[in-house]
Amino acid sequence: MADTTIEAASSPATTQTDDHNQQHQQRAHRHAPLPPALDLYGIDNLLSDEERLVRDTVRDFVRERVLPIIGEHFEAGTFPKALIPEVAQLGLLGMHIQGYGCAGMSAVAYGLACQELEYGDSGLRSFVSVQGSLAMFPISAFGSEEQKQRWLPRMAKGEVIGCFGLTEPDHGSDPSGMETRARRDGDSYILNGTKMWITNGGIADLAVVWAKAEDGIRGFLVERGTPGFTTSDVHHKLSLRASITSELHFEDCRIPAENMLPNVRGLRGPLSCLDEARYGIAWGANGAARACYEAALDYAKSRTQFDRPIGGFQLTQQKLVNMATELVKAQLLALQLGRLKDQGMAHPVQVSLAKRNNVREALHTAREARSVLGANGVTLEYPISRHMNNLESVYTYEGTDDIHTLIVGQAITGLNAFS
Amino acid sequence: MLMMSIGQFDVKPAKAGFVAKCSEALRRGLSRPPSSSATHPTLSTNHNLEENPVKIVVCMKETPSTTVEKSFGPDMRIERRKEDAVINPFDEYTIEEGLRQQEKHAGSEVIALCMGPATATDNIRRALAMGADRGVLVTDPALAGSDAIGTARVLAAALKQIGFDLALFGSAAADAYGGVVPSAVAEFLGMPLLSFAGKLDIDGSTARIERQAEVGYQVAEASMPALVSVVKSINEPRYPSMKGIMQAKKKPIDTLTLANLGLDADTVGAAGAREEALSAEKVTAQRKGEIYMGNEGAADRIVAFLVEQKVL
Repeated sequence: MADTTIEAASSPATTQTDDHNQQHQQRAHRHAPLPPALDLYGIDNLLSDEERLVRDTVRDFVRERVLPIIGEHFEAGTFPKALIPEVAQLGLLGMHIQGYGCAGMSAVAYGLACQELEYGDSGLRSFVSVQGSLAMFPISAFGSEEQKQRWLPRMAKGEVIGCFGLTEPDHGSDPSGMETRARRDGDSYILNGTKMWITNGGIADLAVVWAKAEDGIRGFLVERGTPGFTTSDVHHKLSLRASITSELHFEDCRIPAENMLPNVRGLRGPLSCLDEARYGIAWGANGAARACYEAALDYAKSRTQFDRPIGGFQLTQQKLVNMATELVKAQLLALQLGRLKDQGMAHPVQVSLAKRNNVREALHTAREARSVLGANGVTLEYPISRHMNNLESVYTYEGTDDIHTLIVGQAITGLNAFS
Repeated sequence: MLMMSIGQFDVKPAKAGFVAKCSEALRRGLSRPPSSSATHPTLSTNHNLEENPVKIVVCMKETPSTTVEKSFGPDMRIERRKEDAVINPFDEYTIEEGLRQQEKHAGSEVIALCMGPATATDNIRRALAMGADRGVLVTDPALAGSDAIGTARVLAAALKQIGFDLALFGSAAADAYGGVVPSAVAEFLGMPLLSFAGKLDIDGSTARIERQAEVGYQVAEASMPALVSVVKSINEPRYPSMKGIMQAKKKPIDTLTLANLGLDADTVGAAGAREEALSAEKVTAQRKGEIYMGNEGAADRIVAFLVEQKVL
């Protein structure tokens, strides 16, 4: 509608009313040009040139290399392994880690990369999150110098794929109840237990595994091929189908004591990794939401019913406006979180708030977008149902929506509602 | 459609095997621009067979993204918005080719040269993130409205000042599709242009290209310094890497004005333009189909058509 008004106003004015409109439009235009539908709040201007370059680079990559193939992978239930060397070449694996072959970029740059990757598919973003935030980050933060030099450069190049084992079949939201044990035996540890819902597990060369030792929860680096360590992939998923999810089994798995991460003990270790990954999810969810909003907006402007584009109907506009509004809010939330993180001022409660809100709203957006597309929305021809199904997992992993609610609830009341 | 009159300008394309004679001073480049504070070692153009470093200037233009709707001002110039400005897609192949030649010839330098608004440093930075060593931006308020010849005049002057063994160009720009600039620069410099290269090899002091023709390809070569325009089949441009983006922050971009290049304002920009865009109209796609009815020997005619198209 706004376009029409401006067009009318800029045609030669013949009446006083037109003239008035024109003046009004010109004045309005001088003060504030109509913002584009995909950046309603001028968030682009809050980014530095370098941050925009990161975003545009990953955006181009996703448009050219990911979107043409991702639907087929989702349908076939396969992870696009061919993309691993390409994301490594881009330097996205561990991009926010300093040194050891990593780019050492800011938290905001990392967030923008997650956002663009998840515009493609949550599965691809999950792959990059797990490699960078859950496997490389603990080695970088808690590993010995030898461990860092041995693993990080090859992980940045995508030559070594990592995974992160915390969740167990019987312990999801309460990791402190984990049953996996590490028993000291001379110069070794013997691992026993099972980890469940492990992204990248089946293709991982290195597993970062959290287990209870005599002195508390410790992190261990377990290489593929170690006797007693096996993986099995989870099949028949209806979500994150273009991502590998596995079970890790440890049966009297003997690993050298020097494979333990020396510099962290207790739940703080895995939780600080999750904090990194949740941060990436808070941004990533906005990418999925934007993909759904864009698809719905395009569709609403071109789909004709009752002789007019459905975008002209009030109910459809309300849906689009809801999506646009929630997207803007979520983007501002993620950006401020990133700025705080780059200043070393981000608190895990703020990460919880952003993860909870942005994934929840992305899921609402996906559902609402699906309804705009009618039956077309359920096909793989459009990205919406794929994102919608993926987001169901994102809603649950890395701290469920409920758990993040309790984290924020405890922070604002001072009262623990967990137990 | 853009209607333009080019005026009298005699463009001489390079002949195959054409060998240019250029002064050594031009090959080495003249002094560094006075505005520059950064210092770079002047590359030797002594073509040692083992090392064979090449000084490569990749010419790039900022154009509006091909995904945004173009609009024209009252002067029929494309309205350019900073946020829509990208590296001319053709020039991504130019930059990539410069980087690939650098990888083949150790010690080579790749310099990204752009004429454009002051904000074009954003896109030069992107070329630096892809791997170019430094950037040169020619910017001056008087340059606005330059036509192809004015642009070529400026690029020629800048190339002369920078000095080069090899100057690479895209074969056209995705805004006006003139495709004239590389040959016009060659004319201004009196140097050979190897145009529409689908493959480029440097051997000692000789540049050799393959130019795709309808049947097979032509081989053309010139002794360096030389200009080369490339086509999209020559390579697959890389994305800037995250490390490249970090490194690009520290790479210098020098700015040159018309005064730095010793050019008069009235020979460039709108004042010096001999091209005038008279009108701009949207291209309307026209698809012409032919329908053959069964009783008109449809099968035979379809077979004949397929044979003609070399499908059968």
